[in-house]
Amino acid sequence: MGFLRKLLGNRDRIEDTSNKNQGQQPNQPSSKKLSENVEYLLNEFKRTDDLKIRAMNNGQAVLMYFEPLVDQEKIQQNIFNPLEMGHVEHISEIPNARSSENLEEMIPTLLRGHAIYMEDGSSTITRFNVTSVFNRNVEEPQNEKIVRGSHDGFIENLMINLNLIRKKIEHRDLVVKYFKVGKKTNTNIAIVYMDGIADPEIVQKLEKRIKSISVDMIQSPGYLEEFIEDNPYSPFPQMLNTERPDRVVANIMEGRIALMAEGSPTALIAPSTFFMFYQASDDYNARWYTGTFVRLVRLASFIIAIGMPAFYIAVISFHYEVLPDELLLPVKSSINEIAYPPILEALIMVVIIELIRESGIRLPSPVGQTIGIVGGLVIGDAVVRAGLVSNLMVIVVALTAIASFVVPSNELSTTLRLMTFPLIILAGTFGFLGIVFGFLFLTVHLTRLESFGVPYFAPVAPLNINDLKDTFVRLPLFMMKKRPKDAHPLQEKAMGESREWVQHEQDNNKN
Amino acid sequence: MKRKWLGILICLTLLTGCWDTRQFKDIKLVLAIGFDQNEDGGVTETVSIPTVRRSTEGPANETVQVLTTEGKTPREARDHTDQMIANTFDPSKAKVILMGEELAKNSIQPIFDQFYRNPNNNLNAYIAVVEGKAEDAIRISPPNDPGISKYVSGLLEGQINATHSTGENIEVLHGELLEPGIDFAVPLLKVDKEQNLLNFEGLALFHNDAYSGEFIPNHQTTLLMLLEGIRGKVASFTIKVTDEEENAIRNYLTFRVMRNIQDMKVKVENNQVKVDINVKMKVRVVEYPRNHLTSKKTIIDLNEKLSELLTEQSEEIIAVIQEANSDVFQVGRNVQSYHPDYWKKVNWEEEFPNITIKPTIEVDIVQYGVIS
Repeated sequence: MGFLRKLLGNRDRIEDTSNKNQGQQPNQPSSKKLSENVEYLLNEFKRTDDLKIRAMNNGQAVLMYFEPLVDQEKIQQNIFNPLEMGHVEHISEIPNARSSENLEEMIPTLLRGHAIYMEDGSSTITRFNVTSVFNRNVEEPQNEKIVRGSHDGFIENLMINLNLIRKKIEHRDLVVKYFKVGKKTNTNIAIVYMDGIADPEIVQKLEKRIKSISVDMIQSPGYLEEFIEDNPYSPFPQMLNTERPDRVVANIMEGRIALMAEGSPTALIAPSTFFMFYQASDDYNARWYTGTFVRLVRLASFIIAIGMPAFYIAVISFHYEVLPDELLLPVKSSINEIAYPPILEALIMVVIIELIRESGIRLPSPVGQTIGIVGGLVIGDAVVRAGLVSNLMVIVVALTAIASFVVPSNELSTTLRLMTFPLIILAGTFGFLGIVFGFLFLTVHLTRLESFGVPYFAPVAPLNINDLKDTFVRLPLFMMKKRPKDAHPLQEKAMGESREWVQHEQDNNKN
Repeated sequence: MKRKWLGILICLTLLTGCWDTRQFKDIKLVLAIGFDQNEDGGVTETVSIPTVRRSTEGPANETVQVLTTEGKTPREARDHTDQMIANTFDPSKAKVILMGEELAKNSIQPIFDQFYRNPNNNLNAYIAVVEGKAEDAIRISPPNDPGISKYVSGLLEGQINATHSTGENIEVLHGELLEPGIDFAVPLLKVDKEQNLLNFEGLALFHNDAYSGEFIPNHQTTLLMLLEGIRGKVASFTIKVTDEEENAIRNYLTFRVMRNIQDMKVKVENNQVKVDINVKMKVRVVEYPRNHLTSKKTIIDLNEKLSELLTEQSEEIIAVIQEANSDVFQVGRNVQSYHPDYWKKVNWEEEFPNITIKPTIEVDIVQYGVIS
């Protein structure tokens, strides 16, 4: 470094990237007196007990670090070993050390888990990276399992997450930008996108929104989401949540932007559309017939999840003429003796299912299974035998619950279960008319919704026939030559002729 | 302002409640209705109300309640029924509507008026006339079927499939009731008290909205249907083609119609309406113990024989129809559209029995089974 500095002169000096933000930080030049420096830092850290001061050279120098944040092994390896081996004369000469004369700069440095070395009679502060890291394995996320394809998942460490993405996109255009959000927590946020594909306008929009967040604490991307999404009052999530690197990479390559935060395995994708929540990595790993079929099933589940109880209620309390003749007596016999009107029946059952689900999540897994059995079998069966709820209603509500879990995104799944309630009430008060109005409002809302200035219900509204190839169906990949328009990619073409060998082989065969 | 709208919205959804709900569990389903004429000129209504009671385990047990009430009009009779049962009477899923012979001979339009006014009514309900009283038909409890409605609708559906009936339902009937120049035929059922069953007698021929008293017997209804150009899933005939064999069975031939092309031409010549009905059938012989039909000549002979016999039968049918003055071929409609001057000149009701209707039936045996 020193040689480089001499060579280039002070003007063109290359700086560490971490020093980039120095200008914004207050400057507190270090004094030549060691005790003053130590005193300043101790005061700044409110004399916290875990700030370890290790006196060296008979009290002429100190090594300071946060005990919980550093790895003792690394201190030994990086600082003491070179000294002991006699590789270097003095601590500041250790190659991986960096120096500064700004005490204020040391504060975030210490908090990052670095150790600093100060000497009496010198204002130079030397620091070493000795951070200890605890990571879990990059295993498949529990809530987004797939059958075929990569089984890695993001973890709580931002660097490892970025590593997973970089490994999947080895290209110079992949850009990562860091932000610090949360005045007290100083959470590291990164946005990742492909320069030249992602719309710079949307990137700017996202940057501006992130910068305008002014809160003390940021917990997770889910927390962040509410500050930056377009319409926080909408029940629909406007950014896709995922813990899968392959899903993030695919979306980045479509010109979308991923947003990740330190300490959370969830990445947010912006801009998102409604139909993205129904795409799973499995669709692209399986053959396209299967992918199409599964996706159609999933989209049908949307209608079932929000409309089925409402439809059933409307039929049996308003329009029983639509029942087929053969079903008349079976239906009538099952609901004849029920004490409550169907709307109450449905609300009770839906709430019971939610109770079972919620208790199942919170409980430790062995007890959770018990709850499943008690809830599913005992309540389901007993409630029918007791004549409180008709068995048809149990079937309808159970089907609805199953359908709501089909969505690959947990975020939308909860939304769907929530949407059931207004439709049940509408159907119970106005019959089919109510359902029609409910769906009308829903469609109007979905059509008007935007995610980072991009229509949420694309490619259905506004209609884009070309993008429908990957919406309700999944056509073979070589037919999807263009990126979906909804993310405004700068570069539309995603692939060239990839199957021209077919023609070649045919020509060869002729000759 | 926002709060005010929210308040209005909540009031609208919660306070209005379910004022127009019709809870399926709170109604008494009526699946079969029978109408008869009583002595005072009023209406006797018989309804069959199934009640299903589900025990917590095992199959539901179904009981059928039959009620008969009288009233000056069908609607009044229904109100009287309503006064006798728990919950409300609901005919919107009625599958079968039966009419007594006497009532049918008088006029059926007043009976059906109520069904057209309420949008909830089931327009697919089958209609049939019962020889004697409809009440007797509703009151029989068929041994195999769970209820009279299922039994009668199944019976009538079977007749439609076997090309015995057009499947007259309330919806179709509406046009035919009101339109001049169109008449219709409704299945005629007879109560078999001994076996506790109903029997399909034939098609009762209606003139305007009243049963003429004449009917086409059930062995000729298929031919009538084919003359009208209607074929169900199966149309089969058993015809005696010869007297030569000693064994009686060997004299008969049974065939199924595979394809049926009907063509009706209506001409007005010298103030006289002439109707030609040509029916070409391609048939498959399904039973003919006498011959294997491998020679071409036999087939040609048989074709001629069958055509001749069927044409004769058709003439008989048409004679009955003209006597009943029941324009089931809708000749009047045809005359009205293509010869409006003539239509205006004549009184069709008087004219129809006198017009010439000439049926021609051509039978063509195209298959005779796998015998070779």
